[in-house]
Amino acid sequence: MTEALLRRLGAALVTMVLATGAVFLLIRAVPGDAIGEMLGQSAGDPAAEAALRAFFGLDRPLWSQYLAWAGDVLQGDLGTSMRQGLPVAGIIFDAFLVTLEIGLVTLVVAILVGVPLGLAAGARPGGIFDMVVEGFTLLGLSAPVFWTGMVLLILADAWLGWAPPLIYTPPGISLADNLEGILLPVLALGLLQAAAYAQFTRQQTAALLRQDFVRAATARGLPARVIFGRHVLRNIAIPLVTYAGLILVQILGGVVVVETLFGIPGLGRTLLAAIQGRDYPVLQGALLLAVLVALLVNLLIDLAYAAIDPRVRGA
Amino acid sequence: MPHPMIDRRTALLAGAGLLGTGLSGMPAWAQGAAGGEADPYGADDPQARRGGILTIAIANEPPNLDPFHQAGDARTAVTVLMYQGLMFEHASGTAKPLLAESMAISDDGLAYTFNIRRGVRFHTGQPMTSADVKYSYDYVRNPSNGSPGAADFGVISEIEAPDDHTVVIRLSEPNASLPMTLTNRFGCVVPRDTFANPQARARLSQQSVGTGPFMLQEFRPQSHIRMARFPNYWRQGQPYLDGVLFSVQPNAASVLVALRSRRVDLALLARPQDAEQLQGQAGINITSALSLRQCSLDLDCNHAQLKDQRVRQAIALAIDKNAVMQASIGGKGKVLGTIPAAMQESWGAPIESLPFQKTDPARAKALLAEAGLGDGFALDLISIIGFEWMDPAAVTIAQQLAPIGIRLNLQRVELGVWLNAFRTRNMRFTFNDWGTQPDPHLLYYRHFRGTPRGADFRNWNNAEANRLMDTGMATPDPAKRREAYLGLQKVMDETVPTLMLFSPDLVTVSQQRVRNYVQHPTGWWFGLAKAWIAA
Repeated sequence: MTEALLRRLGAALVTMVLATGAVFLLIRAVPGDAIGEMLGQSAGDPAAEAALRAFFGLDRPLWSQYLAWAGDVLQGDLGTSMRQGLPVAGIIFDAFLVTLEIGLVTLVVAILVGVPLGLAAGARPGGIFDMVVEGFTLLGLSAPVFWTGMVLLILADAWLGWAPPLIYTPPGISLADNLEGILLPVLALGLLQAAAYAQFTRQQTAALLRQDFVRAATARGLPARVIFGRHVLRNIAIPLVTYAGLILVQILGGVVVVETLFGIPGLGRTLLAAIQGRDYPVLQGALLLAVLVALLVNLLIDLAYAAIDPRVRGA
Repeated sequence: MPHPMIDRRTALLAGAGLLGTGLSGMPAWAQGAAGGEADPYGADDPQARRGGILTIAIANEPPNLDPFHQAGDARTAVTVLMYQGLMFEHASGTAKPLLAESMAISDDGLAYTFNIRRGVRFHTGQPMTSADVKYSYDYVRNPSNGSPGAADFGVISEIEAPDDHTVVIRLSEPNASLPMTLTNRFGCVVPRDTFANPQARARLSQQSVGTGPFMLQEFRPQSHIRMARFPNYWRQGQPYLDGVLFSVQPNAASVLVALRSRRVDLALLARPQDAEQLQGQAGINITSALSLRQCSLDLDCNHAQLKDQRVRQAIALAIDKNAVMQASIGGKGKVLGTIPAAMQESWGAPIESLPFQKTDPARAKALLAEAGLGDGFALDLISIIGFEWMDPAAVTIAQQLAPIGIRLNLQRVELGVWLNAFRTRNMRFTFNDWGTQPDPHLLYYRHFRGTPRGADFRNWNNAEANRLMDTGMATPDPAKRREAYLGLQKVMDETVPTLMLFSPDLVTVSQQRVRNYVQHPTGWWFGLAKAWIAA
């Protein structure tokens, strides 16, 4: 187990170096840089442009820029945003907390809605409830998040005369304001993920119910409650946990859409602004964090396996 | 009762100093320059109620709040509340004293002497003196400091501060637009040695150091900007508001939702046609004003078939600007000739006098035939992703050019890519969207003057235009200046380096409780200095 974890960490390190190097080169291959946005239509003064380029170190060779950045990162310094002039670590940390909150709340909603629906539908495949859940799943999976979000926004405005608050409030300042602010983004994102969860759980449940050991237990006259609790739930626990990890990574990837739609100052929106403004330090820092989170989630899933399945623990 | 249009024109011309001499015998332009109102932001409101936070929805967020290193309109729109220049870009088109009390120009036009307003304090608490003015303008004009304003200040040869309240700015050559240059885009005054601290640029997004009516409280990128009333503002009893909150909205639809739900008090609509969705809504006021922004079509004179002046003329004659405006912004704007709408009356050549501002497809076709392109040709038209008006405009223009044989391939590029092409003078055939301060030199010179004095982004390289722009710059008498710029516009019309299509109206939407807010034609938020909230 320890050896496997070390192997994973080693692979993660290599992935990180490759990913940051690729982003470093790719973003610089795109025409334009942060200077373009700063100068806007007031460009045209070569001396001012050269001075700005030198100020941000953009006049140095690429390898030198990358090594300088990587050296700073190893010392815990992610650099300074070219656009905002603020430390990248602070920008990313603030934004990441917002995204993580939306991601985790969405995951909880997806699990609380999707798992019971999937279990109930999978228990009686082809029944009326199964068909209702299938309809819900179809709607959730086929409606794009931006469409769902926009519809929720318009319906809330038209039917209730209500709109989300203008400013995101961290939960530490006011939980009520915070929940009001993330309600629609979580619903928009949660519908898709709950649908995905319901579909996955339904398939797992229906497949398990067809297994010989379940049929044997039924034949022995065990009550459905016991079969479900002892055989079905325990056997689908591992796939459901695996799926939670996948869903969380998917949510964090998809959150950029809801953040942009609802004006939430999370990592997705920060990343989008950084791409548009060619804010290299923020982009590189954000990607570093994204890779770290993906690796961490995978690691946590491995640990969860070990907790659930004794066979993994012994490996 | 006089006709309202005559009144307005008279007012505008008087503001621009174009109505001859005044009562004192001084030329009108000299009076305008020397005599400042007590507060150029506008009239006080004796009924104003003090207090309250006014919430404003903005769609374009400034990347940072540094008044020296960020050129974008989104930055200037909000920093004008925190930072002030010696002069103010009055809506009439003249520069009026702001942190200066008066201005005198030497006979040769090479020395400007400013008396500095007394009793002005920075947000840091320090009193403002002429040494701060000298420091700020010396900083901007030094290209090695990387300010986009350096080129505008390039004509300054020396700045002196003989005493605490006098600043003398000496020029290497006459520049009639100097007062307008010292306004609020790059002409802000900050405490001396502000940039001695290497972290100064970063700190300007966390703490304001200007003299304006509001001071920065909090800037949360992608979310909001909060400002508080500056208690030591030089104008006693102002501003009326305790603070302002700019909420960054992700799109035009969310601005409308926020207005309807009364979450915001005030917004300037990015899409003027959206006003129709708010018509008849109880408790909402909608006002419309002329703008200094222009939506245009730029023609790189060094690109493919556009090198031939006859081709550019043909394109100009084939385009029906009114139809393009209808398609793009539902007709909520003004069709342009060769100058933005808010400058048309004071500085613009009458559109009907410009032969290539008419729609004449037959003549367009003849010109193409004359250029040897009678069989037509294909051309790429570039629009910028995120500028919604450009897509319907592109389709409309493609339909208008098709009958004369020009087949347009519509291309959409990301803003960063577009800015890179713009900066490197590789514009090709593209839409553009830009604003100006209300001065013809600041409007035209950098964009159209040949290099190295200007940037000539469209590779126009027109000697006569260069001469007229230099004359306009050097001539202090506004009436003579106007002649030069009328001549320039004639050349521009004939040689077509750009087609200014329309200026979208500045449509301001406010809740009924917002009082005394007047929208400035730049689209910047000066009006909040005088606004107040009714109980």
